[in-house]
Order: sequence, then structure tokens, then C-alpha cells
Amino acid sequence: MLKQMQEALIAGKKAEVESLVDQALAAGMPAGDILNQGLIPGMERLGVQFKANEVFIPEVLVAARAMNAGLAKLEPHLAKAGVKPRGIVVIGTVKGDLHDIGKNLVAMMLRGNGYKIVDLGVDVAPDKYIEAAKTHEAGAIALSALLTTTMVQMKAIVEAVEKAGLAVPVVIGGAPVTREYAEQIRAKGYAPDAASAVEEIGRLIAS
Amino acid sequence: MTSRELVVDSLEFRSPARVPRQLWTLPWAELTWPAELRAIRERFPDDIVTCPAYLREPLRTRGREYEPGLFVDEWGCRFENRQAGIIGQVKEPVVADWADVESVRVPRERLTVDTDEVDRFCERSGAFVLAKTLSRPFELVQFLRGPENLYMDLADRPAGLDRLLRKVHDFYMEEMALWAATEVDALVFADDWGGRSSLLVSPALWREMFKPLYRDYVELAHRNGKYAFMHSDGHIEAILPDLVEIGLDALNAQLFTMDVAGIGRRFAGRLTFWGEVDRQRLLPYGTPAEVAAAVRTAGEALWRGGGVIAQCEFGIGARPENVAAVFEAWDAFLPA
Repeated sequence: MLKQMQEALIAGKKAEVESLVDQALAAGMPAGDILNQGLIPGMERLGVQFKANEVFIPEVLVAARAMNAGLAKLEPHLAKAGVKPRGIVVIGTVKGDLHDIGKNLVAMMLRGNGYKIVDLGVDVAPDKYIEAAKTHEAGAIALSALLTTTMVQMKAIVEAVEKAGLAVPVVIGGAPVTREYAEQIRAKGYAPDAASAVEEIGRLIAS
Repeated sequence: MTSRELVVDSLEFRSPARVPRQLWTLPWAELTWPAELRAIRERFPDDIVTCPAYLREPLRTRGREYEPGLFVDEWGCRFENRQAGIIGQVKEPVVADWADVESVRVPRERLTVDTDEVDRFCERSGAFVLAKTLSRPFELVQFLRGPENLYMDLADRPAGLDRLLRKVHDFYMEEMALWAATEVDALVFADDWGGRSSLLVSPALWREMFKPLYRDYVELAHRNGKYAFMHSDGHIEAILPDLVEIGLDALNAQLFTMDVAGIGRRFAGRLTFWGEVDRQRLLPYGTPAEVAAAVRTAGEALWRGGGVIAQCEFGIGARPENVAAVFEAWDAFLPA
């Protein structure tokens, strides 16, 4: 059944995923097993396919939609069983920038991979990231920017995190952003695409 | 030799005396570097110009496209912006529900072009003239539907999507036919299809849903003796063979996100590359020497007695000395 769930997830079949989650719960399968052995491996496989250009944004979005539907069924059971997310990630598009497609894609893929997301939206001032990271005890802060003129905000956020004494890694991405730029501003992580962001954040949270 | 002849010779691979050029600017450049931009324009005049629309009826828009605040375009798409000099992002879809497709207002004012004025403009220009068309079915449907909704639609394929796309495409065909009957040299269409390292959608989906639309635009242009010019941002190597196959004449693409030498081996001599030089890295962060080296790389890969238009975008973050270096290097590429 879990294998079937994975296939339905990758195919973006929301109703089928919901039905299979219901069936698995009714059969007495622990919610944590359904999540960790069914849904998350499905999203992980999708991430690999996305990086290999075997699937594209439409397929990822409908899979994320199916994942969210499955998660909604599981969440009350996960809470009751005390299953914790893989980590908490504060995410947002930097100040002055209203672009959110890339940021939303990363948030969806992270959620689908078992992370709790605190989405601050777009045009977010540096202090908001710090405040949210403290409040939610975040494991990572993820920043997005589409413009060369707004990506400079990322430096201010990294500096604000350092100044606040927060041991929370900052991961950056977006069209004009490069690994060299991440190194230059001392961001701990860089991701060229949504699937890489999941890997990078996983690596940083685990380390 | 006129500017127009230079461009046509490059499109036809007839060894023009120099590489024809065109500078694109975003309002950001005008605001940030007005004197430098003026000097570049004086030193390197454009060989390609876009004809004004000469509309008899004004477009029904609200706000200003390149200023902070809300801008509503002629289709009713609502763009929010925070920064002067660039365009904003759509936050609320016009087509929230498929029942809304029928009520999408087609901007018929765009069809009130004074074609006599257009013809007079072409006659006195001396440059190669692009029509003021910018048919962009994928982007417009994204604006109308909202980007995330549209991407999911492309996977779900609801019937409403076909209706919306057809409505947009029919309008573009009507508008392009109108311009094709004037003295302009080329019709223009554009959609940003590429991401950082691949297409945004699968090549199979692109071929099924969108390639036929572009084929219609190219055929319409050619039936009327016009060239077909297309722009797409991002990594679009996967669909270059298709664009060549449908007969596209000139492509503006972010060559430096792709394998320029490989593109040259496969397509040089079959398609004209209408720019560009890396505007994400080199123009904002590179040096004039690095820009010149990039131009040489592109020239060696793509020039086959023509097949290049030295286009460059002076966009957000670009350094004026790097923009000037683009045109200096293209002038130096062909010995006088």
C-alpha cells in the first residue's frame, strides 16, 4: 500500500493519496510510518527526478498538492503520537522583492519532505526572520530573491543572524544568486533549485 | 549600407559589413545611469527599432507599469510592485474560476493601430523595424490565472485552460495579422520558458500545447513576407530544434545559461541569435575584459557570415562600462 501511495503521490493523484492514507490509518498503520515510509520517500523520489529534468514544475506542484492533502489527514494522528517534523524552516522573499514562485516551490517541497514551514511571505525585513527563527526555534532560515538589486538584502539578514547570536544556518537561492555570492556573504547554504534546497537544508539541520 | 540592410544581411547570412546591434533598456537603467546610457546610445546607434503602436484608442490600464504600487494592464492583470524601474508581480488571478474565462476582457484597443502612421514610420526609419507586437501566450495565461494555478493546470489539463489559451491566441493572431499587413520587417513574440538549467515544463508538454501556437505566428509572418523574432529567458536548449524546425528567424535567449559552443555546433547558420550577453552575472559583476571575451566566444560559436544581432539588455544591476564593452567587442569581432 505504501508503494502504491508513493506512485499516486508522484503522479499528483490527490484523491488517491487521500484514500490510501485513510485506508492505511484504518488498517492500523502508525501515522509516522505512513509519513516516513510512504509519503516522504515519494517526495524524495520526485526531488531526484526534478533534479534530473525528468519531471518539471507542473508535476512537482501537483505532487506537493497531493502530499499536503495526505498530510492534512495524518496531522492529527502525528500530533497524538508525538511525531516531530524533521525540522522547522523559516522562509521568505527578501525585502523589496515581491516574487514568490520560487520561494513557494521550495516551501512546498520542504513541507512534502517532512519539515514544518514558517512562511513569512514576500518583502520581508531582516528582523522578521530573526524574530520568527527565535519564536519557532527554527533549524534553518531560507531566503529567496529574484533581483540583483534585492539579493543584497541577504547579506543584511546573515549579519543580523550573526549579530543576534543565533546558531541557525541561512540558505539562499534565486535566479541571480550564486554559490560564490553565498560564500561572500557567509551564508551557510546555497541552492540552485528547489530540490537542492531540500538537500541543503537537510544537510545543514543534520550537521 | 542602411541599418535595415545590415540586419537583413545578417538574417540571410550574407556577410554584413559589421554585426548589427540593438540595445534594450529597462527603465531602471534610465533612472540610474541617464548620462552613461545617452553616451552609449550615441556611440552605438540601434540598427533595429520597435515601431510605436500608434493606437487610435488608448489602452485601458491603471497605474504605471514601472513604478511602485499597483498597475493593471489592458487585460485586467494586476501587478504589484515595490521598486521603480522594474515590473511587478501578479498577486490576484483574473481567472480565479474557469467560469471567468468568458468574462476576460480582450483589449480590442490594441487593434486600433493607425497603419498609415506605421508605414510612414517604417519608410523614414532606415532601421529594421519590429512590430509593436509582443504575443506571449504562456506568460499572459500565467498573469491571468496566477503562476501556481497555471502550473497545476498544465498538469491537470482542465478544459477551461484550452478555452483561455485559445482566447489569448486568437487575439494575438488577429493583432499580428494587422501588423503583418504594414511595412514593418518582423513580428515579435515572447515567452520565458527556461529555468536555471532546464525548461520550466516538460519538452513534451511544450511541444503539444505551445509549439503549435508559435508555428502559427511564424507561418503568419512568413506568409506576409515578414521575419519572425522570438524572445525567451532561461535555459531552453531542449526546444531549440523545434524553434528551428518551425522556421523561426531570430531568437533572443540567455545564451550563457546554456552551452554556447554546443549551440553553435548544432544551430549556427540555421537561426540568427539576437543576443545576448550574460545579464545575470557578467553585465552586473564582470569586467569589460570578461565581457569582451564572452562576446568573442559567442561570435566564434554562432557567426556564419551572419546569424548574429548584437543585442544587449541594460537591465537591473548592469554596469554601463560593461554594456559599452558588448558593442565594442562586437565591432571588433569582424575586421573592418
